[in-house]
Amino acid sequence: MKLSVRMLVVLTSVGLLSGSFLATVGRLTKERIELNKQREIEAAIIKVVPGTESSAKLYEEKDFKVYGGKNQDGTLIGYGILVSGIGFQDKITLMLGSDISLTKISRLEIIEQKETPGLGAKIEDEDVFLKFWEGRDCSRPLSLRKPAVRTAEELAASEVNTITGATISSESVLKIVNDSVERLRRLINEGQIQKGEQDAH
Amino acid sequence: MPTRSIGQEYIKGLWSENPVFRQLLGLCPTLAVTGWVINGLAMGLATSFVLIFSSLVVSLIKKLIPSQVRIASYIVIIATFVTVADRFLAAYFPDISKDLGPYVPLIVVNCIILGRQEAFSSKNSVGRSLIDALGMSSGFVLALLVLSSIREILGSGTYLGHQVMGSWFKPWIIMILPAGAFLALGILLGIALQIEKKTKSRV
Repeated sequence: MKLSVRMLVVLTSVGLLSGSFLATVGRLTKERIELNKQREIEAAIIKVVPGTESSAKLYEEKDFKVYGGKNQDGTLIGYGILVSGIGFQDKITLMLGSDISLTKISRLEIIEQKETPGLGAKIEDEDVFLKFWEGRDCSRPLSLRKPAVRTAEELAASEVNTITGATISSESVLKIVNDSVERLRRLINEGQIQKGEQDAH
Repeated sequence: MPTRSIGQEYIKGLWSENPVFRQLLGLCPTLAVTGWVINGLAMGLATSFVLIFSSLVVSLIKKLIPSQVRIASYIVIIATFVTVADRFLAAYFPDISKDLGPYVPLIVVNCIILGRQEAFSSKNSVGRSLIDALGMSSGFVLALLVLSSIREILGSGTYLGHQVMGSWFKPWIIMILPAGAFLALGILLGIALQIEKKTKSRV
């Protein structure tokens, strides 16, 4: 066989074989991988909207998804916003829980972050950061308390604590939260997301 | 090439030709994912899987591949197994897969793997290539384990997630940062070189 033909035949067959092999592997693992993602989101909704028994996706856009948490009777009890925004060095993905009137934050969960370990990565820390978000008043934009305080009682209703040494990461999370609450409020006002009357699916 | 016994073929990957400590190959994942032992171990095993199967396939079809397109063929073969490893981790170990992030797909460009195909599997029998790949993999896993053990114990005071240091211990955060990887690897390379010198001078 001529060399050029042989090169062509070899490369084509290597490509075809590996392609079909990967197609099989992809099909075999696809379901499980999607299930994993689904499970992670469900677990986060249950955490951020206390009392959730089932959940439904209400709205989807790139880097901005809204889920509704429902109680046993299927009534909507809160929203879970899955949103990504820019942090100190990379994207931060978080899940924010609020009540249906968008006046109170029930909980904040960090889904994915690549902030500086030991400093900005503390946005995942319950005692330093996350617990200060519970029950905050989000009817108007939240602000940061600087320097940080020790207990949630020292904060005003719409204030959250800053992480000492990681102001930029704290501000990034604050901006993501404020923007997404605002965005959801607009969507509800525009009627793109209806309050409390979704079909369960 | 001097003929080695099967045992020597395996052992060389552990020490005298250890990919990390002696050949300084594959340093990107070595530095990037060794903050915690579990991640280092997962990366080591994923790389081993890719290396062993790539060596097997390459040594099997080495006579069929014209030398002009060998690198392209090797890369396709390697990338295939990397994708398999990536999907497998995402499906069965989602947490580890999330932690390792882009470093699993990046195994494709790990020099150890392409290096072994070019330097060994394309010239040796299937059996020897397998032994060589096993040895190199063990050496790589070993290096990652040593490095990640040092970094996790000093950087977080834990081992495989279990607290091993007393409450008096204040974690050295620098050890889980990139700088800590360079420091630990540098010191380990220095020690490896010293040991090598000592054993050489005795011979």
